[in-house]
Amino acid sequence: MTELKKKDGTAAEHGKCMLNRREFLMYSGTAAAAAGTISISLYPGQAQAKAQVVGYPRKLVGKLSQLRDNKPVDFNYPDEGQNAQCFVVKMDGAKAGGGVGPQRDVVGFSYLCTHQGGFLNGKYQAVGNNRVLGQCPLHLSTYDLTRHGIIISGQAYQSIPQVLLELDGDDIYAVGMMGLLFGRSQNLMES
Amino acid sequence: MSNQHYIPADKAPLPPKNAEVLTTCCDYCIVACGYKVYRWPVGSKDGGMKASENAFGVSFPTGPLQAWVAPTQHNVVTHKGKLHNVVIIPDKDAKAVNIGGDSSIRGGCIAQKAYNPKTPTKDRLQSPMIRINGTLQPVSWDLALDVAADLIGYTVKEFGANAYGMKIYSYQFVENTYAGTKFARRHINTANWTMHDTPANVTSTPGFRDAGFDNFAPSYRDWGDAETLMICGTDPYETKTMIFTQFIKPAIDNGQKTIWLNIRETAGIAYAKSKGNALFIQIDPGTDVPVLGAIARVIMENGWEDSDWIKKWVNNKWESSSGFGQGTRNTPWQWRTTWGKFQTKGFEDYKKWNLSQKEFDPKVAAGIANIPVEQIYQAAEMLTKPKADGSRVKTSIGIEKGFYWSNNTGNTNAISSLATLCGAGGRPGQMVGRFGGHQRGGTGGGGYPRNKSPQKRPGRRRQALDCDRYFYSGYTRLAHVVGTTWIQAMCGSQGLNDKFEELVTNNPNQVKSFDKAEIIKTLKARMDSGGTVVVNQEIYLRDPIGSKFADIVFPAATWGEENFVRANGERRIRLYQKFYDAPGDAKPDWWIFAQLGQRLGFDGFDWKDSNQVCEESSRFSRGNRKAYHMIKVAAHKEGKTLHQKLAELGTTGIQGPTFYNYQTGELMGTVRLHDTQVTPEQLKSEGRTQGANMINKKGTHFNSQTGKVNIQKHPWSLFSDYWAWMKPKGDELWHTNGRINEIWQSGFDDVDRRPYITQRWPGNFTEIHPDDAKRRGIESGDRVLLYTERVPNFRQTIKGVHGSDFNFAQLMKNGWIKLDKAAVVATAIVTPHVKKGTLYSYFIITSEPSNVLQGRVPDQISGNYNYKMGVCRIRKVGETPYKEDMRMMSFAPRNIT
Repeated sequence: MTELKKKDGTAAEHGKCMLNRREFLMYSGTAAAAAGTISISLYPGQAQAKAQVVGYPRKLVGKLSQLRDNKPVDFNYPDEGQNAQCFVVKMDGAKAGGGVGPQRDVVGFSYLCTHQGGFLNGKYQAVGNNRVLGQCPLHLSTYDLTRHGIIISGQAYQSIPQVLLELDGDDIYAVGMMGLLFGRSQNLMES
Repeated sequence: MSNQHYIPADKAPLPPKNAEVLTTCCDYCIVACGYKVYRWPVGSKDGGMKASENAFGVSFPTGPLQAWVAPTQHNVVTHKGKLHNVVIIPDKDAKAVNIGGDSSIRGGCIAQKAYNPKTPTKDRLQSPMIRINGTLQPVSWDLALDVAADLIGYTVKEFGANAYGMKIYSYQFVENTYAGTKFARRHINTANWTMHDTPANVTSTPGFRDAGFDNFAPSYRDWGDAETLMICGTDPYETKTMIFTQFIKPAIDNGQKTIWLNIRETAGIAYAKSKGNALFIQIDPGTDVPVLGAIARVIMENGWEDSDWIKKWVNNKWESSSGFGQGTRNTPWQWRTTWGKFQTKGFEDYKKWNLSQKEFDPKVAAGIANIPVEQIYQAAEMLTKPKADGSRVKTSIGIEKGFYWSNNTGNTNAISSLATLCGAGGRPGQMVGRFGGHQRGGTGGGGYPRNKSPQKRPGRRRQALDCDRYFYSGYTRLAHVVGTTWIQAMCGSQGLNDKFEELVTNNPNQVKSFDKAEIIKTLKARMDSGGTVVVNQEIYLRDPIGSKFADIVFPAATWGEENFVRANGERRIRLYQKFYDAPGDAKPDWWIFAQLGQRLGFDGFDWKDSNQVCEESSRFSRGNRKAYHMIKVAAHKEGKTLHQKLAELGTTGIQGPTFYNYQTGELMGTVRLHDTQVTPEQLKSEGRTQGANMINKKGTHFNSQTGKVNIQKHPWSLFSDYWAWMKPKGDELWHTNGRINEIWQSGFDDVDRRPYITQRWPGNFTEIHPDDAKRRGIESGDRVLLYTERVPNFRQTIKGVHGSDFNFAQLMKNGWIKLDKAAVVATAIVTPHVKKGTLYSYFIITSEPSNVLQGRVPDQISGNYNYKMGVCRIRKVGETPYKEDMRMMSFAPRNIT
């Protein structure tokens, strides 16, 4: 599957390509995913899964070999506009929903609390086996990063948006997003 | 695994500039944040990203704290028969409560509550139904109402008014509670009547009532203005979020000291601790009285009590007795002080009593409560030790269910006395009250006929009827259940469920015909044979009360589907506007009561709309903490209706009791009750004393005969036999339960019908301490069985004769307590935030109802349940899917800061 590196970078081409891989993953299950270089984990439901990646850019956000355990690396996604601050982190072996890498412990998320937009930079923490984002300085929400960013305790209106990641060799790509970024009415802004 | 999983959306529409805007408040917790509903027709243009293109007038993307629409805040509803978009977000212009538009997770997602056949709300009840051939089948309103009215009339005529039992919400808007109580209490006049959260029509906080404290005297700002705040049996962050995030958190950030009495450490407690100025007293269940008694003792031994306050505001011997002993007047105080167990001759007498109680020795108290003894001394210092300059600390105390449902009378007596020693109760930032559970939507349309109750305590007067026990004894021939699950909400509920099965389902007289006369005949035959007929008014078919037991179901219209009025926990009265059409044929509860009342020939049930009900009810609110009568007076002076006037007041509303200045036309609220700094001259000069305005003592004094506080005893011995019997034996653990932030008061919406929340909390859970879990081989995500053979069930309606007849030990001896088995499953969460030796579950996931484990022995003085008291054993019976499935639930502790 190394030919992916050479592929057309446009969103349309990217979406087309992704769907095939999604289909493959949906039928092959986690064993195949862990064995291959592509270990993205998706929610079941093909049509819905499509919706989460169609139109999103494929963006290189880091290299697996350069990630240090529990040290988030920042990037902007899906564009360079407002409220696009995200991070990717290798969670020291904590297996995660949507995690990539041999240990499925590399995940990406938005930095903006989905309650009222509190900035969660510096709020990543490893507590025992838990990998947590928060408490949000505004109203104390916490999110479970091993479980697709679900709320642990707090007031957020949805899970913290998860950046769908894909591992290609050593390269980590952001390829889509689950959930609406705070402050936007759609993740992919028309401009 | 083919479970249904929630896929979050990545877009949400913005309301256009010309969207209609209505105001409402959250339907859930008592704080009742203000919300705006933006409505525009489906098919018309949505709002755009530029400030000039959307209803918020802000450019998107927005920044922190600005307006935003999460996908969970949008819905599509029917308004006047046409599809409309609605966006419901906290009011960014809110001047009160959720100032600036803050909200909880519950209210934040409340747009999902509105009926939309494309969402999990599609099973809203839409038609009246009668159970025919074992199946609830849609019928006309006329048939269902005719049958129900006929049967209710028959019940009263043949078996007496008490054979008609009504179990109804206390809070679901003043129009509905007024109509319901007018129907059941004034016209039918049954003593078999109670509210959703108590087995009998009794106060939640007997100690407050007897001391003279109103439950909701404080204003929210008082919680923030206190220098030391003691919080018992709750974490406001979890269950009354705005009180914490808007008032307490900023105070903590500015150095407010907090003392927490609780069995588990949740986010608010953890946050307070992280700021270094909090004391967390993690007691064992039910041990509050010794701890509070010991703190009071340390305060008095150091002479730290507020002597000036006590001298001025605490009843002495003669004042304590004033108003009593004059015949058989039905004052709660007289009632409960018959044995001299509580009444004191004032402060010195209380002190003498306290010092003589061995349980209030700090060492003994700490031993009972299983806490470090130093914490008792620290608490006493934080509450009352004068500052270096000799000035006093401003202390406030707030309580909630974890506290007052553990040892109802004892705890509320003890906290009242402690508060009084601290000088709390009647000054800004120095208040005492409940943080609150449900919103305050009760208006009495008729008095409760206590004298018709067959239940009696030793010595004196009758006690409000324990409706569960009465039902259990087979005396309730027609149960009218309105907006509550009844069964799972009560203690020891497995026994109650069995009784419903016996009296309703297993009775041979079951309807098999669509013919009205035959239906009525069959159900009368059921009652004649000792069985029970169940009439249920609900918005969803609840299991089992609706799905298994109801013979007749009336579909109710609710929040957003009718104009309704309600107050919050600082007595703030607001209009909850109708913004869409109720599903199908659903009607508001007041309308259903009106139809039944008319059929039974009751007068005064001919209201045309909800405003008429509200306007009729207003005079019955006079003198109450949320008196709204003067809003009507003001409205009528201005040629408006009460609802119209309240709509003008938007999300700010007005704090009750309300007053009207006849000269200036100004409508005035009341910041706090028991405000001892307000003078009679002030009240007069503001025009609060004229015309229909009603001044009573609770505004500037306390609710006692003299207007001063009764400082009361709080003997441990009234409860200690129950506590000692219940204390875990062998492999047992304490089992207690309660609410949780994400699903509090909205279970029927959140847990069942809100995919985002269902994903977080797919079922019941039990928190267990790592040490307890390890010993039993339990891990997070395991399915566990909680089981016991020790659920004490008080099984008959009896009259007490001798003084100790209602003591638990005596009840056991005399054979009134039956021990039931109970079992319930849950998902284990192994977490250090719960106290070792104690399990904590959610209280009412209806499919896995943890209340089955809790002792069904009401507090012998108050008649309330002590819901928090239970024991059980726990063992692993398997694994839940959530153990490995990364998409649902989370096992991370709630105290991560």
